[in-house]
Amino acid sequence: MKKLNHSVFKKSLLAFALTACSSVWATSTAITNATVYTATEQGILKNATVVFENGKITAINPTSMNVDTTIDAKGQILTPGFIGSMNQLGLVEVGAVARSRDAGFKKANITFDPSLAFNPKSSLVSYARKGGITRDVIVPSGGDSIFAGLASVVDLSGEFDSVQTSKMAVLVNLGSESKGSRAHTLSQLIDKLEKQQKKLAKAKKANSEKKSKKDKKDPTKEALILTALLTGEKPLIIRASRAQELLQLIKLKEQFSLNLIIADAGDAIAVKEQLAQANVPVIISAMDNLPSSFDSLNASLQNAGILEKAGVKVGLSIFGDGTHNLYQLRFDAGNAISHGMSQFGALKAVSANIADMFGINAGKIAVGKAADLSLWSADPFELSSKVQTLWIGGEQYSTESRQDKLRERYMKQSHLPKAYSK
Amino acid sequence: MHRFAPSTLMLAIAASLVGCQDSGPQDTKVAINKNPYPSTYQAMPAQKTLIKNATVLTGTGDRLDGADVLLVDGKIQAVGKGLSASGATSIDAKGKWVTPGIIDVHSHLGAYPNPSVESHQDGNEMTSPVTAEVWVEHSVWPQDPGFNAARAGGITSLQILPGSANLIGGRSVTLKNVPSVTMQGMKYPDAPYGLKMACGENPKRVYGSRKETPSTRMGNMAGYRNAWIEATEYKRAWEKYDTQYAQGKNPKAPERDLTLDTLKGVLDGDIKIHNHCYKAEEMAMMIDLGKEFKYDSGTFHHAIEAYKISDLLAQNGNCAAMWPDWWGFKMEAYDMIHENVAVVNAVKNSCAIVHSDSETTIQRLNQEAGKVMYRANENGFDLKEEDAIVWITHNAAKSLGIDDTTGSLVTGKQADIVIWNQSPFSVYAKAEQVFIDGAKVYDRFDDKYQAKSDFMLGQATANKAL
Repeated sequence: MKKLNHSVFKKSLLAFALTACSSVWATSTAITNATVYTATEQGILKNATVVFENGKITAINPTSMNVDTTIDAKGQILTPGFIGSMNQLGLVEVGAVARSRDAGFKKANITFDPSLAFNPKSSLVSYARKGGITRDVIVPSGGDSIFAGLASVVDLSGEFDSVQTSKMAVLVNLGSESKGSRAHTLSQLIDKLEKQQKKLAKAKKANSEKKSKKDKKDPTKEALILTALLTGEKPLIIRASRAQELLQLIKLKEQFSLNLIIADAGDAIAVKEQLAQANVPVIISAMDNLPSSFDSLNASLQNAGILEKAGVKVGLSIFGDGTHNLYQLRFDAGNAISHGMSQFGALKAVSANIADMFGINAGKIAVGKAADLSLWSADPFELSSKVQTLWIGGEQYSTESRQDKLRERYMKQSHLPKAYSK
Repeated sequence: MHRFAPSTLMLAIAASLVGCQDSGPQDTKVAINKNPYPSTYQAMPAQKTLIKNATVLTGTGDRLDGADVLLVDGKIQAVGKGLSASGATSIDAKGKWVTPGIIDVHSHLGAYPNPSVESHQDGNEMTSPVTAEVWVEHSVWPQDPGFNAARAGGITSLQILPGSANLIGGRSVTLKNVPSVTMQGMKYPDAPYGLKMACGENPKRVYGSRKETPSTRMGNMAGYRNAWIEATEYKRAWEKYDTQYAQGKNPKAPERDLTLDTLKGVLDGDIKIHNHCYKAEEMAMMIDLGKEFKYDSGTFHHAIEAYKISDLLAQNGNCAAMWPDWWGFKMEAYDMIHENVAVVNAVKNSCAIVHSDSETTIQRLNQEAGKVMYRANENGFDLKEEDAIVWITHNAAKSLGIDDTTGSLVTGKQADIVIWNQSPFSVYAKAEQVFIDGAKVYDRFDDKYQAKSDFMLGQATANKAL
């Protein structure tokens, strides 16, 4: 949670200075001599320079530069900050402690926006930075409805203004049902979309014929969100796994022009060509290789690589407790590489691809993107490497967490009880 | 019903013989069969194998570069440089690493198998706070595809434990990770049984929510103590019976109690304690509990706070089995540090173990140990690969009481071995060949040695006739 002094200074004075000229206060930084994993078509740039200012990347390998600070990377690897997804960061402190959980409730529906409860001071945020995570797509855990609620993008600065874009996607949970039928849940979704589509068509017609004032009452929150799905403005994330179900969803995408993202997708390799052709990205776990249900009999460690080769846009996310374990995302990427995904593909799967899916202006080292950067001691996907320096929106953030304090206390020799070692 | 008939008869006999039951002709001595579900494990066909030019981690703290390992008759015959053996299958392991087979002391494979459907939830008899009468081996489904996945990760032996909803949850079983149609076919011959206990949040939550005892941590302690008091009485009754019988008397045998049989097994030193216990203050009390009732408090599992009492654990000879980084799912898992295993390991006579409790991470215990080593070395430790391997081999074997037969590459031990493509402590490490008792049970490059569960056979395949 600790920001370096100079950036604290900068931000506190920024508001004061705004009436004058804010650019006076902007400091520019150049990272030189870096091995830059761009996560773009540029691939890897050796001995490269990345310049950023006002939170954005302003130049890569400029012919000349005049910057306030220069950091020599000494050949070390610079990656975009990694982007987590599909977890409850800032919405839970301790899983089993009900009063520390805000990600769901029984009656949660399509309008539920848990980002209102996002806690940037959660100890999980600083811990996740150890894994080079700089942004995250938080999703509701939902309730009884198939509509779990709305997803949001947060940064991991630990600042009070961490929620970057709220309500930016809708999450729907489909798949096997312990009571009932998946046919029913799927038809619920189809009905909602059809109804809203008809309403819109009717309203359009009414508008053009300039009649019927009573139809002009304000649309409900739900109607607005459904409209945003039908226009493709908001992505629709659907959790589903069985191959046949994934094909149903592809049809749905075509029928309603949805901006569809499929999460879990345990059986995705069985319909990989169809997913690639329909341009449906998937968010999968690289580590789920067991048939946890009859919906995911094709689960395998090779899946990320197989989907990549088939041309499917793949995002990696940690399933299970992906909130507390978010820092491990880079190791999942490493294991995906170990089992056939390209290094470039794995990098994008934890940065650029997630950014593309959700329209986040980060996740790539390219001019105009947010200066979310990680400088690594070595291969970022290897167990032995660590984050040397981390920037979020151009500012340096510490990777120290509560866990470090505990270690230091218990490793320090003292004649007094440990409680006095702080 | 069968059980009541003899005791009713005994009562009648006893009533008619009041005053003379201790003398006269002796009835057949009542003895309890300690092994009614014996192992039927048979090693798979093994051949004499010479693994050459590998980096060898022995599991006893040594590293040998460019070394050979010779497997003969299912045993390790020699480890060293320049070995030769006539008639041996030779494996060129240049650039590869060889370690003992990996051992996981905490697994629920088979008892909570995949697919994790309701019909398969057989891992925890959570109907009473003390269910020492259940044996998890009676729940093991040998077709769990997780066993095969774990073998591809180098797992050669593993302990299956019942769940942690109970104060005392039942017996564990140690298995060899070989494909088998029966549990007995996997059962590790002569491995001692374990007894699962659990501290803290789980038991008090499960029973407290039903308005039953325990509902607090002090209720937990009372529950263990009551159980051990009963077990102590039961043991005394049997000892009295044995003594009197040995004196030529004809005493009445105590009525058999399945729950107390197991607890007595612990007091007799036959069954090892495996205690799900996260917190420092609770582990310290569980050590004293063992002293109060004169049993070995054994291994602490999920010992998130072991680093706070590393000296105490070593002094008492307790093993601590830990994750590298799981945390935060419960209050008692809040104080995780990445270096926990390393801090415990740093004390003399310690027994630090990395465990999984997961069908997923059991496939990568090597990586789990690696994470600990690297994080610790970033923070003042100087741990090497030959140290880290001990946490998932020798120390694990010690905790299970099978270190006399496996867990290290020492002459005479079972040839339970993994050949890795590189240092096992890399995210890119993969087990290439796995041997159990000298028999190849897995080969990454040969489908012939990749076992498949009945459950996976013929699933999700094409329907068109070929």
